[in-house]
Amino acid sequence: MTRITIDPITRIEGHLRIDVEVQNGKVTDAWSSGQMWRGIELILKSRDAREAWFFTQRICGVCTTVHAIASVRAVENALQLPVPLNAQYIRNLIITAHALHDHVVHFYHLSALDWVDVTSALKADPAKASALGESLSAWPGNSRREMEAVKKKLAGFVSTGQLGIFTNGYWGHPAMKLPPEVNLLAVAHYLQALDYQRKANQVVAILGGKTPHIQNLAVGGVANAINLDNAAALNMQKLAMVKELLTEVQTFVEQVYLPDVCAIAGMYPEWLGYGAGVRNYLSVPDLPLDTKGETFEIPGGTIFGGDVKGVKPITSFNDAYFRDHVAESVAHAWYVGDAELHPFEGETIPKYTDFNPTAKYSWSKAPRFQGKPMQVGPTAVVLAAFAQGHEPTRRWASRVLETAGSIAKVQLTPAVLESTLGRHAARAIRCAVLAETALKQWKLLVENIGKGDVAIFNEPTFPKGEIRGVGFHEAPRGTLSHWVVIEDGKIKNYQAVVPSTWNAGPRDARGQLGPYEASLVGNPVADTQRPLEALRTIHSFDPCLACAVHLVDVEGRELSRVKVLG
Amino acid sequence: MKICLMGVGNVLMGDDALGPFLLKSLEAAWELPSNVTVFDAGTPGLDLTLFLDGFDVLIAVDALQARGAPGEVRCYRRAELLAPALPVVISPHEPTLRAALLRLDVFGRCPTQVLLVGAIPASVATGIGLSDAVRRAIPAIEAQVLRELERLGAPAKPRAVPQPADLWWEAPLARSLR
Repeated sequence: MTRITIDPITRIEGHLRIDVEVQNGKVTDAWSSGQMWRGIELILKSRDAREAWFFTQRICGVCTTVHAIASVRAVENALQLPVPLNAQYIRNLIITAHALHDHVVHFYHLSALDWVDVTSALKADPAKASALGESLSAWPGNSRREMEAVKKKLAGFVSTGQLGIFTNGYWGHPAMKLPPEVNLLAVAHYLQALDYQRKANQVVAILGGKTPHIQNLAVGGVANAINLDNAAALNMQKLAMVKELLTEVQTFVEQVYLPDVCAIAGMYPEWLGYGAGVRNYLSVPDLPLDTKGETFEIPGGTIFGGDVKGVKPITSFNDAYFRDHVAESVAHAWYVGDAELHPFEGETIPKYTDFNPTAKYSWSKAPRFQGKPMQVGPTAVVLAAFAQGHEPTRRWASRVLETAGSIAKVQLTPAVLESTLGRHAARAIRCAVLAETALKQWKLLVENIGKGDVAIFNEPTFPKGEIRGVGFHEAPRGTLSHWVVIEDGKIKNYQAVVPSTWNAGPRDARGQLGPYEASLVGNPVADTQRPLEALRTIHSFDPCLACAVHLVDVEGRELSRVKVLG
Repeated sequence: MKICLMGVGNVLMGDDALGPFLLKSLEAAWELPSNVTVFDAGTPGLDLTLFLDGFDVLIAVDALQARGAPGEVRCYRRAELLAPALPVVISPHEPTLRAALLRLDVFGRCPTQVLLVGAIPASVATGIGLSDAVRRAIPAIEAQVLRELERLGAPAKPRAVPQPADLWWEAPLARSLR
């Protein structure tokens, strides 16, 4: 048996560390040790509840917007404060634009190079690559000239002897199987993706005031004054720009991202069989279409043991089924005790002991729903929406399964979404649904303004005494919830249960593995010195950890390592 | 010439707030030319690539992980930043400034001049406020940034009436609420 530790940054406390035991080329056990951002309740204690969001969006530099949204929703939930329709639509546009940006970044800049061999692209025939691209979509960026230019650029880059950002890739690894032409096509799209991230980000900047930290939220609505003829307000010109940007992003998602995911899934079909892990799924409904959060554009719910037909919907911001069944275990986390506490009662009292896989080994708590580990993220969203007959999800899921299936020359069913590459496919499906939905939200906003409604804000009033609220949001990485206890308008307790703790959390008191851990068991690892396959599965979750600090390591010490014990 | 003056770091994590702190105090006392964009980046991870795209020059202020005593000020140039090896990236947060610059290099859009200036932190644990050691280093870092702007032909002008620095994260009420 071989034990491998993948430890990206060993000095800074708490970054994601994965330990796996490998026997005969397969993972037999796994431990995920991660960082959870600790202490937001200490920062927020006694602060005015109306400004909590301004601080929570600083918890994580990548997921700023999502923590802002969940926070205002939590306080509004405590107050039972409705939010004007315009404010819901504007928030929905920000949420979808942010998710479009995030999914595209994740696929191209974090994960694609797990599957795509950049150096192999140098052997590609640009004409063949172009023909292949044009057979998959009408994207103008697949032209022969474009492929020639990208190949030339890449060759020039490699000839300097510096692979730069590509230095650490697992080039030539036996698990890399794409033909050179597919690799070239993917590298071209890797380069093109940056421009579409920019467009999605511009939408957030126009509506949110700034990125990465939006400025326009308020408990009770938004601060975007609406006046179609005023240059300083949200006017027709800005709305037209938002529509144009969203349309361009939608084209990229449908013609580039989606076909690329299908091609990779179709060419690595064995990876639709690995990596399912925990088959309990949690997603929450999002993109509210009314003022109280009782109807939503995209449904959510729970699924247990892969029983998709038995989906139980979560139906409103007030749904007790969600509110009452979340708890966090610290049995294997570096906190005092081994309790499983509801977030309203949540405590964060650190007590670091060494990494001990049979005792405590992570900073991340282990969230549980009705005592069960749950996988969150795009697969959870797509399965719950599919099971509830959500038309856009069904349509895009069919498209993806058919396209990937035709490349793999097999018939694919939604069950393949429960896998390593299935998570990528589900993310692409969700992304296509969101791209379409964003334009629908735009139309709803413009029509509502057209009716003469320019309301954007309901003033919150805080009662004497204690109130509690939960705000949830289906963020790019999965279900996010903020839990707030307010006394006389001031914060008394605050807990954030984030997607990556659901997925990356450790075992609980009953020894149930978390989703990362369970998903690694059974994975192949061909070369223990270069555990590319383990990274493939972890990356498929889009891990969002280690977000707390940003230090530049100026001495270039070895910041990551793969350690193999005999 | 488009110049990005960027502060990186988390305002809720002790000395990691150095970057944002410096931007706010600099802006309060100095007027910057129109080709200088002041950017509070937070901890942007992979998105840093996007945010730095389009700039010819980058001046970055950040807490520095280096051997030395808390509060020691260090400066680095583009070539030094791009030279060392890169870590395996697991989460979208890990990519450093170096990774963002290297990625932009692939696109042929990496800023041609880069200065990183910062100080070694005393603590980056959860909590608001800079340590005394890092606070004492602020004037030296500010002077370094001002010198660099001058060198680039984009000098800052002292404000006739200095404003209070908008250190909202240190204030008892962070925002002017409606």
